[in-house]
Amino acid sequence: MNINKDIEAIEGIPILFIRPLSALVCSDLHLGYEGVAAERGIMLPKINFRKIREQIKLAQDHAHASSIIINGDIKNEFSKVHTEEFNEFNDLVRYLKEDLGIKNITLIKGNHDNFIDRLERPLGVRVERQQVLMDNFLFFHGEEPPDLNEENVLIMGHLHPCVSIYSSLGIKEKLRCFLVGKTRKNKELIILPAMSYYSEGLEVNSVSKSKLSTVLDSIAEINCLRALCICEEETLDFGTIQDLKLLNNKIL
Amino acid sequence: MIKFYEKPFSKEESLSSLSPEVRSWFEETHEGLTPPQYYSFKLISEGNNILITAPTGSGKTLSAFMSIISSLMRKEREGSLEDKVYCIYISPLRALNNDVYKNLSKPLEELYASLDGEKKKISIGVRTGDTTQSERQKQLRKPPNILVTTPESLAILINSPRFLENLRALEYVVVDEIHELANNKRGVHLSLSLERLTDLIGKDFIRVGLGATLHPIDEAAKFLAGYKSATEERDCYIVDATWEKKTDLLTISPVKDIINASDEKIENKVYSKINSIIKKNKTTLIFTNTRSGTERVIFNLMRRFKYSEDSIAAHHGSLSREARLGVEDMLKKGKLKCAVSSTSLELGVDIGDIDNVIQLGSPKSVTRAIQRVGRSGHSFNDVAVGEIIVMNRDDLVECSIIFDSVKKRKLDSFFVPKNALDILCQHVVGMSLNKKWTVSDAIAVIRKAYPYHELSDSDFLAVLEYLSGMYVGLESRRVYGKIWYDEKEKTFGRRGKFTKIIYYLNLGSIPDASAVDVYTTKGREWLGSIEEEFLSRLKPDDIFVLGGKLYKFEYARAMTCFVSKAESKSPTIPPWFSEQLPLTYDLAISIGKFRGEFAKAAERDINKDKRFISLLSTGKTKPGKESSKILDAMPIDDNAKSSIFSYFAEQLIYAKYIPNDKFILIEKTRDRERKHHLTVFHSLYGRRINDALSRTFAIMASEYLGIEVSMIINDNGFVLITEKEINSKDLSEMIGDLGNIDMESLLKDNIRRTELMKRKFRHCAARSFMILRNYKGRKISISRQQISSQSLLRASEEIGPNFPVIKETYREILEDTMDLPRAKEIARSLFSGEISHKIINTGVPSPFSHILVSFGEADVVMMKDRRKHLRDLHKKVIISIKKGAR
Repeated sequence: MNINKDIEAIEGIPILFIRPLSALVCSDLHLGYEGVAAERGIMLPKINFRKIREQIKLAQDHAHASSIIINGDIKNEFSKVHTEEFNEFNDLVRYLKEDLGIKNITLIKGNHDNFIDRLERPLGVRVERQQVLMDNFLFFHGEEPPDLNEENVLIMGHLHPCVSIYSSLGIKEKLRCFLVGKTRKNKELIILPAMSYYSEGLEVNSVSKSKLSTVLDSIAEINCLRALCICEEETLDFGTIQDLKLLNNKIL
Repeated sequence: MIKFYEKPFSKEESLSSLSPEVRSWFEETHEGLTPPQYYSFKLISEGNNILITAPTGSGKTLSAFMSIISSLMRKEREGSLEDKVYCIYISPLRALNNDVYKNLSKPLEELYASLDGEKKKISIGVRTGDTTQSERQKQLRKPPNILVTTPESLAILINSPRFLENLRALEYVVVDEIHELANNKRGVHLSLSLERLTDLIGKDFIRVGLGATLHPIDEAAKFLAGYKSATEERDCYIVDATWEKKTDLLTISPVKDIINASDEKIENKVYSKINSIIKKNKTTLIFTNTRSGTERVIFNLMRRFKYSEDSIAAHHGSLSREARLGVEDMLKKGKLKCAVSSTSLELGVDIGDIDNVIQLGSPKSVTRAIQRVGRSGHSFNDVAVGEIIVMNRDDLVECSIIFDSVKKRKLDSFFVPKNALDILCQHVVGMSLNKKWTVSDAIAVIRKAYPYHELSDSDFLAVLEYLSGMYVGLESRRVYGKIWYDEKEKTFGRRGKFTKIIYYLNLGSIPDASAVDVYTTKGREWLGSIEEEFLSRLKPDDIFVLGGKLYKFEYARAMTCFVSKAESKSPTIPPWFSEQLPLTYDLAISIGKFRGEFAKAAERDINKDKRFISLLSTGKTKPGKESSKILDAMPIDDNAKSSIFSYFAEQLIYAKYIPNDKFILIEKTRDRERKHHLTVFHSLYGRRINDALSRTFAIMASEYLGIEVSMIINDNGFVLITEKEINSKDLSEMIGDLGNIDMESLLKDNIRRTELMKRKFRHCAARSFMILRNYKGRKISISRQQISSQSLLRASEEIGPNFPVIKETYREILEDTMDLPRAKEIARSLFSGEISHKIINTGVPSPFSHILVSFGEADVVMMKDRRKHLRDLHKKVIISIKKGAR
């Protein structure tokens, strides 16, 4: 689905393709999630990394991009680096470069990414703290308010947006979605869904405003954003959050 | 071999099997032998395995222990009694101390007192989760001769190398309350502990099982005895003294016309009825079916009749141990007028003399009814007096049949869960902590336990692969692996320094309930609890059922949910899981048969003239001649008789047909708001079967019409709820398809995506040590685990269908929760016409479907084609938004 002439949401996958930059964009991978859960006594099968690889491959088969921008929260744990995350991160970089032929890798450091600075040189990736401006596209993780100036398009992660929709029989569907629309200053805004397999997602059309991001609120009015939902093999526009909120008060 | 022992020994034969000291004490203090004792003294002293079933108060415990104490006494006199455990007594009860004192310590003290005050030498010790550290140390240094414990504590003891040394002289294992163990995973767990124990001490011990009524009783004996080799069962005698106690039973309808009476009127009458029974008796025990029901009854009795807290009390599993013991103590001292319990007082806890037992609503099983009523009557020779007070129209017939079945001694049957892989996982970890194993040695031990006798090699190997962490990469197995497993050598053993702690802190078969407490917003009154998963489905203003009443969801804070009383008549969201136990199949068939017979009689008594019909709606009809013939032979009161008659008469006049065990009525109708189509299947076979049948039909309907289907299930039938009508032709074709479908694979494919699967998977994952409740000393509550059952399940499915945790979840659902074999049989009969059917149309749901439609539990069959489903959903959202804009 084309969001505008420059930006495409690749069908059925939480990844954007930005044509002028020849770049794939995705966010919130949370590599090593299972390792951290295991430390807490939950022995999850290791699925996250495999699924992420599969999705990026699908996107690259479609887009043939030369760059990728990962918009924060590449790994899961806050404080310490797990070998597991390190290995998966290593493998991912190698996979992107060697198997998918993506030459330029840019990582935005999110709130969970303390260690990746050290890997910048050895792995040959570019690491940016919280945000980076490329042409007129501003990529920022979204945990901290971005510094704004020249950009026309803002692309954010961190939120893990999804919407909940109830069918006529009262059955709830939770769908991951891109949120797209305008900022308060009338610039383009896109919020990326999380890539992480285990991410539950934040139901933006049913949680109260206070639980949503204050960073987002300072930039845009969430009710005006549209939800582009990741469905089976396609991405469908479900309308504005405002409408979806109203819809939840009456079952379809 | 399992043998029934039907001829009692003579008094002399029995008594002479005891040691002279024990015999003379027994003769001095007891008037005679109770029925089970005429068998047990001799059989146990001869070293036989034995299963004894008899009602409470029949001296069951003593019938086992006299022979054991007698043998210990002989040892003592010979000077060979050492500080070793000779007997382990296992009970599923948590608070054992009280009971042990009465049943064991006291008789032993009296015995020694009778020996001119000799110092007591035979020792007894209790070991449960509550046993203090210093007491444990003491038991290790000076083990008791008789060790009283729970299944869980036993599983820990057999992993204590030092304590095992004290068990080497073990001669007897007594399993009490076997009816509470043989039918569930807790018992399965115990059966493996016993085989491991036999293996660890290198010899068999005498197995004594004690229990209340149980059917088929030889199945229980097999469960107790297990196998001595790959092919040969251990011998075991069965002594069945179940029916020795006399009963006086009555099913009561609180009002004359339970069909037309308002909820409020029924409630008022129920309580005044209870009050009059309490007043008539010294001590009354009331059973409700749920914990929240118990609280409600207490609350109402106090409010309506000014009972004080000193005269009535609640007793249920969620109360603290102290509170429960306090209630038991007050009961024993005769201080309470009335105690109200959900299930906790059903077991043999000593509660003194009860004059009368009231059961509120259907106990759902004949066996349970006998057990509960059996708590009344001062002694074994007294008559047990009990009433069931019915709560609604469906209850009415069910409860009447239950007491009728008790009178006719028609018991319902239980089953032992087989090859439960989650419980097996726990024991394999336990075994690996004991020593290094070869696969063949280990499986030989496991297969001696009756529930695992037919365990397949492949399932066992899958368990070893899972536990050794083979589903993750090599470098992660350090954390994931609980055992090491050498595939080439076919050996396994312990791994990791935390494994022992994991085993100790996480073993057991009872899943952590993720219960959310529900309160009213006004007055903060506690109403009961709901499951966390259910809460996650609620939206503000949703109306749901809790404890038989409707509430409106307001908001939730952490693990607390706030609601207000709902004005509406029907829930907007049905419950996903019932607190209630399912109706047993045998009972369901009895009710179905009654429906068939009574329908014929009622039909002859019905006057189709206007006068009769107008009389019917006023509730003033009396059973006619034919109907009375049947009803008068049943243990029910006059209100119940006229209510049953008018219930059947209304259904006959409104819908023309009464479903029965050989005839399924299919009723096409609409819901109250006329928004959805309802297809009601009146299939009274119990929830375990209806669960499987309803899903089968829902899947077929979903595929026929290409829509999502939601359904409601209870013991009496099921409903398919759809946006489009399922027409008669489709229904007939679906029934025609029943001959060609593979129900098992159809269900497996479907339940993957249901709430039931998610919930059961979480339980199995916890029991298989995949989710640890307690790890490295940190207790992790389900709500804090921060990962939904949904993603956990999806991820595990990626590993494959033979992943033991997934496989066990399916097994538990298909075999334990549902009754697939019988469901298949009923589907086959429906297809062949052995069970006939009739499709009818009704404007509003017929009398027989009211309770089902309003209070059944629900689940959903999603469309198989998920892409199409999401597209449909998208289309509807867009249309709805456009409408809203206009």
